[in-house]
Amino acid sequence: MTVLKAKDVERVVKLSGSGRIEKDVPPKFKPGDRIVARNFESKGHTRLPRYVRGKRGVVERDHGVYVFPDTNALGGPQNPQHVYNVRFDFREIWGEDAEANAVLHIDLWDDYMEPAE
Amino acid sequence: MGDHDHTAPLPDVVLRVKTLESLLVEKKLVDPEALDALIDLYENQIGPKNGARVVARAWVDPEFKAWLLKDATGAVASFGFASDKGKTLVAVENTPKVHNLVVCTLCSCYPWATLGLPPVWYKSAPYRARAAKEPRSVLHEFGTELDDDVEIRIWDSNAEVRYFVLPERPEGTEGLSEEELVELVTRDAMLGVSKVSAPKGRDA
Repeated sequence: MTVLKAKDVERVVKLSGSGRIEKDVPPKFKPGDRIVARNFESKGHTRLPRYVRGKRGVVERDHGVYVFPDTNALGGPQNPQHVYNVRFDFREIWGEDAEANAVLHIDLWDDYMEPAE
Repeated sequence: MGDHDHTAPLPDVVLRVKTLESLLVEKKLVDPEALDALIDLYENQIGPKNGARVVARAWVDPEFKAWLLKDATGAVASFGFASDKGKTLVAVENTPKVHNLVVCTLCSCYPWATLGLPPVWYKSAPYRARAAKEPRSVLHEFGTELDDDVEIRIWDSNAEVRYFVLPERPEGTEGLSEEELVELVTRDAMLGVSKVSAPKGRDA
């Protein structure tokens, strides 16, 4: 087993721990698209919070291609796909009594979304 | 070390950490010098001062501000901070009509390289649950009041992108240098739970 040495600390903390990868994967969505967050029960790992599942939002920004945590975190395939920032109105998420004039921005992978009808 | 009360038992968490550390060192899985270097790095070299320098630069340099809002990863990298994870960074701008607030509802994702160690409240379950549901109440508890016509935007750092807030430059700071502005910018303002205040006596 490799043990981290003091002289290597600065170099190691600069290493990328990002899931971003340079891979040419076509996006399934584009800014302006209306989407609905999928509603599934994960038996393993997911970065899709329960509070947005089944809710409708609008794609704001394409962040590029990243590994898919639901499969990658379990040692499975990287399943690279686009991650987007998606905007949800507070009323859509929390209902009629939601605090006024507030929106949620959250990052969703392609496989977390379906086109809204 | 040596500043704690020797007559009282240590809290459980402290005891557990100390036990784990001595075991790991004893089994040669952790080099204590590397541990000290890591702690020094995050306590003394990487901290909210990094983010404050980015904000002050954006306040005085419109070209830099445009770059920061378009590509914060690149703009922040130009400072050469000891970055910790190479995460994609996004800066979101507060204006008189928009107030941004950062949270990670899933765990405690945080822009470490720019803001340093996350505060305990940021990692707490109540903040994580409430910031995304009742932000005006949360802001009120931080002493931040917003007019009803100000839109609140919550940024849930649930994935691979790390968000931080470009706060509004306070009125009455027109004559300050970039270095003086750095001193005004707080960690809390870069998370969106508070605003940046003008130095005393300089309020417009």
